[in-house]
Amino acid sequence: MARDRNTQVDYARPVRHILIGVMVVLMLGTFLLWRIDSPRVERFRATLVDRVVPSFDWALLPVTRLVGLVEGFQSYARLSEQNQELRRELRQMKAWKEAALQLEQENAKLLDLNKVRLDPKLTYVTGVVLADSGSPFRQSVLLNVGARDGIIDGWATTDGLGLAGRISGVGKNTSRVILLTDSNSRIPVTIQPSGQQAMLAGDNTAAPLIEFLENPDQVRPGDRVVSSGDGGLFPAGLLVGQVALDPERRLRVRLAADYERLEFLRVLRSHAHEVIRDAGGLIAPPPPPPAPVAEAAEPAASEGGADG
Amino acid sequence: MVDPATTQRWGYRLLFVALAAVLLFLRLLPLDMMPATLPGPDLLLCLVFAWVQRRPDIVTPLLLGALLFLSDMLLGRAPGLWAALALIAAEFLRSRHQGSAEMPFAVELAFVAGAVIALTVAYWAAQGIFAVPAPGLSDLLMQAVFTLTAYPAVVGVSQLGFNIRRLSPTEADSGGAR
Repeated sequence: MARDRNTQVDYARPVRHILIGVMVVLMLGTFLLWRIDSPRVERFRATLVDRVVPSFDWALLPVTRLVGLVEGFQSYARLSEQNQELRRELRQMKAWKEAALQLEQENAKLLDLNKVRLDPKLTYVTGVVLADSGSPFRQSVLLNVGARDGIIDGWATTDGLGLAGRISGVGKNTSRVILLTDSNSRIPVTIQPSGQQAMLAGDNTAAPLIEFLENPDQVRPGDRVVSSGDGGLFPAGLLVGQVALDPERRLRVRLAADYERLEFLRVLRSHAHEVIRDAGGLIAPPPPPPAPVAEAAEPAASEGGADG
Repeated sequence: MVDPATTQRWGYRLLFVALAAVLLFLRLLPLDMMPATLPGPDLLLCLVFAWVQRRPDIVTPLLLGALLFLSDMLLGRAPGLWAALALIAAEFLRSRHQGSAEMPFAVELAFVAGAVIALTVAYWAAQGIFAVPAPGLSDLLMQAVFTLTAYPAVVGVSQLGFNIRRLSPTEADSGGAR
């Protein structure tokens, strides 16, 4: 019996080792391929996620809502306290609302006088957050809208309050949003009263760092941070948050988007603008293309001359 | 006629896949989008290491490879790297148990600790060599420590809840180590 088992093991073991070796080589091969040609493998990943995660959909949403409900009950305990707080805030808000209305009217009047043309209003698609990244070192969420809904890589997402992240990876029915807190996230921003440009660099903490700031002296905690639209990455002027100082006196941004409860995200459809590369393109029409096309254009030009 | 041992083995295999799916599912739940200050334990790795040492006949290399690769893909890691390293670590732990009938839990925990830390350092080093943007070694080691503290609990649940324990040689003959 024992000998029988041993001979069996003698055959099984090498086969098993070859199998494991082949699998390890395949996996490391995938890793190398991903390192060389990342977009292709990431597309495969998006397709795979697109297949797997929505099949959990029926359970993901109810369980998330249930946990939310329990957390909700905990907050009911201090309902009256919250009520007082809200009343106080509401009084302040009313004052602000008056100010905002007056400013809006004034602004409309001035715009009308100046004949200013603003950017066309952004339209958006709203998606439900299906899943998060599942890793403590990555900050991203999966939305239930994808290529089917016309989502394109690179579009900005907000939660209605402020910028939340950008689309990176689109499957047929799902798309992944890299949040501003992810350590790979870099967003060009403008800091508002001083108008300085900077980069917002996520570092896996709740408040991303401000980097490449030309003149930090002009920036104070509490300044508004908005997206700058540099590099054609994002529409300009989306609220990101407020400047804050961390204990090590580095400038960070307290995000306006409520990351505690991201249930829905708006994906802003940003369409390609007309690109102006140099001053010449702005002033004169594009120069006529050389030789062969110029010949073809000549008869037309002479005809035009005859008519005139 | 189906051999009852085979039926039982496939039952356990299904249970293993279901448990792994539940763990992945729990990690994907969008409960809190704030970055955590402390990385939680990698319970899937605990599950794999606990089961591969108790019932190597259930957790076949092919099943293990497919599961680890899928988790790499779903959890947004560099595809294949963690899976390959974890597979090697799991097979090392499996081979420790060929022949030896009983191993005290402390020794097992020491081996698992060695495997998890070697796995973490190798993962970090490989990401450094290939210039993959990755979390720092201190964060990864922190997660490894949490994983190790969770390991005895996972073993306990597997043994008490699901009756996953090491087979004696006679049981292995009838119940089916290969």
